[in-house]
Amino acid sequence: MAVVRFLAVRLMVYVLVVWIGVTIIFFVPRFVPGNPVEVMMGKLLSQGTTMDPVLVESMRKTLTELFGLEGTLWEQYSSFLSRVILTQDFGPSLSYYPTPVSMLVARALPWSLGLLLTALLTSWLLGNLIGLLAGYYNKKNLSKLIETGAMIVYPIPYYILALLLVILFAYIWPIFPFVFQVSGTPGSWPWLQSVAYNSFLPLVSIVAVSLGWWIISMKAMVIDTKEEDFVQYARSRGVSDHKIMLGYVARTAILPQITVLALSIGGVFGGALITEILFGYPGVGSLIYKAILGSDYNLMLGTISISIVAVATATLVLDLIYPFIDPRIRYK
Amino acid sequence: MKKFLTVALLLVLISVLSACAGAAAPATEGSDAAPAGDEMTFVGTPRRETLILDNLGGTLERPDFFNPYAPGVDMGRGFHEVCLDNLWEINTTTGEQFPSLAAEMPKALNEEYTSFEVKLREGIYWDDGVEFTADDVVYTLQLGLTNDKLPIHGWSIDYLKDVRAVDKYTVVIDTNRSQPRFSKDLGATIWDATRFWPVPKHIWENQDPTTFVAFPPTCIAQYKYSKHDPNGNWTLWELREDWERTAVGMVAGKPGPKYLLWNFVGTEEKRILAMINNDVDILQDITPESMEVLNNRSDTVRAWHAGFPYADFDDPCERGIAFNNSQFPYDQWQVRWALALATDIKNVSLGTFAGMLRVSPLAVPPVAAVQNAYHKPLVERLLAMELPDGYKPFDPTFATAMAEIFNEQGVGGDLPTTEAELIDLFGVGWWKYDVDQAAKLLEEVGFTRNAEGKWLLPDGTPWSIAINAPVDFEVQSGRLAFAVADSWSKFGVDASVNTMTGGSFWNASSTGEYQAGSYWPGCAIGPDIYPNVSFWHQKFIVETGQPAPGNQHRHKSDELARILDELEKVTSDDPRNVELSKDLLMQMALEMHWIPMFGTSKFVPVNETYFTNYPTADNYYEGPWWWWSNFKYIVAQIEPKQ
Repeated sequence: MAVVRFLAVRLMVYVLVVWIGVTIIFFVPRFVPGNPVEVMMGKLLSQGTTMDPVLVESMRKTLTELFGLEGTLWEQYSSFLSRVILTQDFGPSLSYYPTPVSMLVARALPWSLGLLLTALLTSWLLGNLIGLLAGYYNKKNLSKLIETGAMIVYPIPYYILALLLVILFAYIWPIFPFVFQVSGTPGSWPWLQSVAYNSFLPLVSIVAVSLGWWIISMKAMVIDTKEEDFVQYARSRGVSDHKIMLGYVARTAILPQITVLALSIGGVFGGALITEILFGYPGVGSLIYKAILGSDYNLMLGTISISIVAVATATLVLDLIYPFIDPRIRYK
Repeated sequence: MKKFLTVALLLVLISVLSACAGAAAPATEGSDAAPAGDEMTFVGTPRRETLILDNLGGTLERPDFFNPYAPGVDMGRGFHEVCLDNLWEINTTTGEQFPSLAAEMPKALNEEYTSFEVKLREGIYWDDGVEFTADDVVYTLQLGLTNDKLPIHGWSIDYLKDVRAVDKYTVVIDTNRSQPRFSKDLGATIWDATRFWPVPKHIWENQDPTTFVAFPPTCIAQYKYSKHDPNGNWTLWELREDWERTAVGMVAGKPGPKYLLWNFVGTEEKRILAMINNDVDILQDITPESMEVLNNRSDTVRAWHAGFPYADFDDPCERGIAFNNSQFPYDQWQVRWALALATDIKNVSLGTFAGMLRVSPLAVPPVAAVQNAYHKPLVERLLAMELPDGYKPFDPTFATAMAEIFNEQGVGGDLPTTEAELIDLFGVGWWKYDVDQAAKLLEEVGFTRNAEGKWLLPDGTPWSIAINAPVDFEVQSGRLAFAVADSWSKFGVDASVNTMTGGSFWNASSTGEYQAGSYWPGCAIGPDIYPNVSFWHQKFIVETGQPAPGNQHRHKSDELARILDELEKVTSDDPRNVELSKDLLMQMALEMHWIPMFGTSKFVPVNETYFTNYPTADNYYEGPWWWWSNFKYIVAQIEPKQ
């Protein structure tokens, strides 16, 4: 019964979090000076095009109608909520009118998920493994060398590191493509090869900057954990070193890393803006960025809502599965 | 400053690493060397037959969308450049229109200029083999009249009274009001037309024009759609086999390269590397620092000018500082003039684009055709111009002074030596840098200075100015704002820069909810400036807070309104047009309507490894406007290197 109550409360919180998040995303852009109509008009006028005031006024009126920006904020909000709840439709993108937001998101999201999930899992597994070894054998010179290397790479701004990779491996020694150019029929083997080849540098750039953090944090936790009483007790009982490292130290030290991983998985749905721009990689990050620059309310709602739902879901799932990975936690 | 240092650091990094690459790779071929003949592009076309252009619009979110009447269409990536065409196109060297799809300029059928006959060229075909006729023109104009969901609808019903085909190649268009500049309204002026692009009736007639994707596009210019990147990074166009059945084929007599590839490479650093690597032939817009890297690292890349100052100064919009002239204290001409005289224009030029700028005291840009029509002929009147106290503010020495600075810096070796040539390059002059006169003007209207020399408003409170500036786009305007703020701060004004994204920046301009802004409202390309200045009429002023249809700076002037009313009635070729326009510009200067400063400098480098005969300062058959609709005529002149 306690579990059912816990689940019910947790689900209610989940729905509430999503609703509050989406509501904030609905209202905040509308309170910021600037709207999609003015952005579109500004873009035209800034090119020096000859637009007499009659044309300006008529375009402004038509676009305001087309974009559904007439009526009070409350009317727009209730219309938005009913549309999203009943039909899961975020409407047309205002910057790319009349293209539906769902079409833009559906095109970008798989790319972001494919790249960022792979990068996240790679760096998480690799970083924690290296961190575990470096922490457990922290007196060895190699451990110190690894930590020094991680501390050197970790603070390098992502853009600099990624650009360096491009210059080194796509320009000076051009073994990877300079620009993201996927070829072949989507889903085919040549296409998959092309995706893997084109995504390699973006992947390495993300792994390189995130790896350091996983190594440093895991190493610190392992050093602390291996001095805990239960580890000392196991050691005094003659448990093998290998088993102590994996079964005692790693299993305990990994718990906070799992929490961070779960939350990071939610963040994956927000894309990776700098990676996408630098490598010309399609993804949700640049979509969100363009939505913000263009004051594209619908596109902002569509893309950021997915992130909100993803992070909230990741937190929910983490809460639900935590007792299975940490026996010290129990639902009461 | 932090951002600037970061950019500088990156450019140094690129320079050093590309130098390493240069040491490791074979030496770059000289400009006279012929390229290898068997190279292929990543889209599978022969490199020597493929002109590769930087895609200014970046990655496209909807690369398969080709409806020119939908608000969300991207007109770039070759669509309006080489697929669409206009009735009348623009010659950017003269600023004059010429017939493209039309056989001749429109003929007014009455003295009131309310009825026009448009003759179309015979023998022009869409790329699907259907002939372009008067029915296409009538159908397209009717689209705007009959579809209230099209952004063009409001203008259409206001402007057009009737449209009819008289025969297969003749259209008669009646307007609701007198329209002496009819061809400007329906044809290209700056960048493109904004109201009318003929579409094929046989493709469109059963479609909803508000949502029609129009993919693949049916082209009427000399190129046809070939393929595109589903992820939006590139679009390939192929020369039509029947290019002689297009307007460009008929007018220019030659087509251009076989393939045109618009490609987005990524950030500016990557774009530069791509050009050094000969992977792009035309870059659309870069910073002076990037231009320096290109100059140092490639023998085959050149800018508009082969030497300093490299940039093309003929962009048809000029930059400066505008105010909401309806708000205190900027509603007083003394304040606007004081700020102009407190601007150290030479330092502002150096601080903005290292001095690679042409100055302009008038509210139209100093592009060659406009400068010859207005700036130069008005020098005498500018010299004689007096403020009410008899003060003569004009200083004609800017060009020679800048040349001296560059010679002292050791970079002036490529500069011309005669004063006339220097004026062609750097402009006719600007306002004096005279802080004493600026102070006198402010004191006249009650401003005072505190003990620290800071200016106080007449009520004794500190005077501060926030200058709106674009962030991450229109670099020149962003830098200009900081340079001007520095100049005004030295004068004792608490000036700061408010960097903004596009949405906020344009919203502020439209609603007038700002003090000062680094905008570019002065555009023109030829002697007929009325279409570009008509919006300054005071009848378009609305309350601050409301979006303005025109006159965003809310400048009220009976005299300007009178001249604009007269200008509206004269035709482009009427001699009174230029004379009235001169009066208008002088009056705007006297009222210091806004503070025009510099024409826009564009660093638009080209790579001569695979192609030659690009327009340049020494081969000036067109401006370097790769992203305009008239590119279809420019590309016809670009030739493969033999």
